[in-house]
Amino acid sequence: MLKLSDVHKSFGKVEVLKGISLNVEKGCVTAIIGPSGAGKTTLLRCMNFLEKADSGEMEFDDENLDLKKVSKKTVLSIRRKTAFVFQNYNLFSNKTALENVMEGLVIARKIPKAQSKDIAMKALEKVGLKDRADFYPVSLSGGQQQRVGIARAIAVNPDVILFDEPTSALDPELTGEVLSVIRTLADEGTTMVIVTHEMSFAREIADHVVFMEGGVIVEEGTANQIFTSPKEERTRKFLASIIKK
Amino acid sequence: MAEAGRKIMQLDFSYLVKTFWLCVKAIPVTLEITIVSLLLAVIPALVIALCRIHHIKVLEQFGRIFVSFIRGTPMVLQILIVYSVMPSLLNSFVKKVGLSVNVFDLNPIIYAFIVFGLNSAATLSEVFRSAISAVPKGQVEAALCAGLTPFQTFRRIVLPQATVSALPNLCSITVILIKNTSLAFMMTVREITAVAKIEAAYGYNYVESYIDIFIIYIFVCLTVELIFKKIERRVVFAGVRRAKAI
Amino acid sequence: MNRPFSPVQIWNSFLKIIPYAGVTFGVVFGTIILGTALAILLFIQKKSEKRFVRVLAEGYINVIRCTPSIVLLFIVYYGIPKIALGLFAIDLNFSSKITYVIISLALIYSATLSEIIRSAYLALGKAQYEAAISIGLTPFQAVWRIMLPQGLVYALPNLGNSLISLFKEGSLAFTIGLIDMMGAGNLIISRNYGAYSLETYLALAVIYWVLTLIIEQIFLRLEKHYGRGREENHAA
Repeated sequence: MLKLSDVHKSFGKVEVLKGISLNVEKGCVTAIIGPSGAGKTTLLRCMNFLEKADSGEMEFDDENLDLKKVSKKTVLSIRRKTAFVFQNYNLFSNKTALENVMEGLVIARKIPKAQSKDIAMKALEKVGLKDRADFYPVSLSGGQQQRVGIARAIAVNPDVILFDEPTSALDPELTGEVLSVIRTLADEGTTMVIVTHEMSFAREIADHVVFMEGGVIVEEGTANQIFTSPKEERTRKFLASIIKK
Repeated sequence: MAEAGRKIMQLDFSYLVKTFWLCVKAIPVTLEITIVSLLLAVIPALVIALCRIHHIKVLEQFGRIFVSFIRGTPMVLQILIVYSVMPSLLNSFVKKVGLSVNVFDLNPIIYAFIVFGLNSAATLSEVFRSAISAVPKGQVEAALCAGLTPFQTFRRIVLPQATVSALPNLCSITVILIKNTSLAFMMTVREITAVAKIEAAYGYNYVESYIDIFIIYIFVCLTVELIFKKIERRVVFAGVRRAKAI
Repeated sequence: MNRPFSPVQIWNSFLKIIPYAGVTFGVVFGTIILGTALAILLFIQKKSEKRFVRVLAEGYINVIRCTPSIVLLFIVYYGIPKIALGLFAIDLNFSSKITYVIISLALIYSATLSEIIRSAYLALGKAQYEAAISIGLTPFQAVWRIMLPQGLVYALPNLGNSLISLFKEGSLAFTIGLIDMMGAGNLIISRNYGAYSLETYLALAVIYWVLTLIIEQIFLRLEKHYGRGREENHAA
């Protein structure tokens, strides 16, 4: 459904993505793991053009795109087919939870208000926050804010949801509620790409695991393959260092 | 108290009171200059702020230099420059366009609008620039990801939040502007200080006049601050408070 | 009066004005000294236990904040001789205009400065002072060696701005007849019967503008130098 070929990206003199090729199948959960600075977040942000890749190709919905020369129209249309969940939630502080979820529907997709409210409430219910619909982000805990962020993502019915370290900014007690929401989505067959540090979670829900280090994909495979019998030395080293913690 | 004043400073108390009410009558002129200048300045200030934030080539440089000049030169000098240049400039403009307006009959308050408008455009642009930049970039990204256009993002997410965070600075700019209008007398505008000077010249009662306007300015400025505080309290949206500036 | 614009006159005026820079700087220097003393006094009074003193200090700051500098200048200039006459029977007879300028500017500057000191003190925290005196430093040593150096860093940007403001407010001194740079410019214009006023004003504007830019640069360097080690390293 989404295919990346040979993506390169540099920030100044530092090359952060050194030729990444990735295949995201429909209904699959892809987990991207790796040490900090490996380029995982950058890769994710290139997928919906929060960062502009220097070169490479993307195939989305049977449409081929040259990442060097994407038009504003294309960017907008891809953004309307995808959703992004941020590490720092990035909820709109001047809008209630409900309004946050409705924003993408009413304004971006021009769905009538009543219908949008309906969809938004269902999304909030799905993440367990129906009773917080009229709360402003400042009155919500980190876990609640992130769940609203997820509701915002699922309300627009995207082809794929991109998660950028969804639990990294949360206190340990709050990660559980967010992970369980993501687990539900996975069980329902939502296409997702998740950058995460939660290894056991990744192992549990991922259909496809990608290990990145130093701007390249070192190894990829099923969760079993990567976590139980990694082929590469670097993968083994990384997993060992995680387990020690 | 009149006795003490008379004894210490040989104050003429009756004169003090008389001039006070004469100067009070000039408060509308001061307010008119302030309000019109601010209104004139809002759109240019917003344009300059946005050009500088989004690095729009030529306009950004022009904006930077303009703001630097206004903030780097005394208000008095700006007034003197505009007052010495504007009438003749307007005169030649009017002659070119062919209007039958006598520029030298124009109400000098127009020049006040021009110079205070320019000054406010510069100071306001700095306030807008910092308020807009203070809105967390993450929210802008989230809005773009949700599919909003940059314009929609600005109008619905950035502007509301920037306005709230700009309020305290807007209050202080307004108060400073009111104080600056005290220099408009140099352009023969009959605002508060002008009236005081005129009255003082009549009876040589300088101290009384200036004490009068001293009191008047305090009153006007404190009232403006009160109004802004009221606005700030109402605009706080459900639980979100601006970060307390130290 | 409509003589054509003559850029050469800008340079001429500039040359005639510069000699008076000393007066302008003298005003600022005097104001800083007097103003700092008053500001420290104000700052201490604001923390006083006696409510009356606190209210007085706060009231003073609020009043100054709402007073145009020219109004205060006039009150000081016309008022102090009158007080001197009435109370002490001294005839000051408008001697030494620069004194009045410095007094009125210092009154204004002290209010701003005391607020700057206050915000730097709040940012720094009482804890530093308490730690210093618990190891045996006298209050004066604690302030001089511990609070001041650290507080200065917080205060630097505001100090730079207030210095620039001081120069600009000081430009009003010519209205009571002081011959500083602005006063010199005014003299030039009146001697030319109003001709080339724009050129003279432009010369003055350039002088002030360059002065402001220099001060900004100096303070930027100072902030960078003293701010070292204080900024967190931003991860790539």
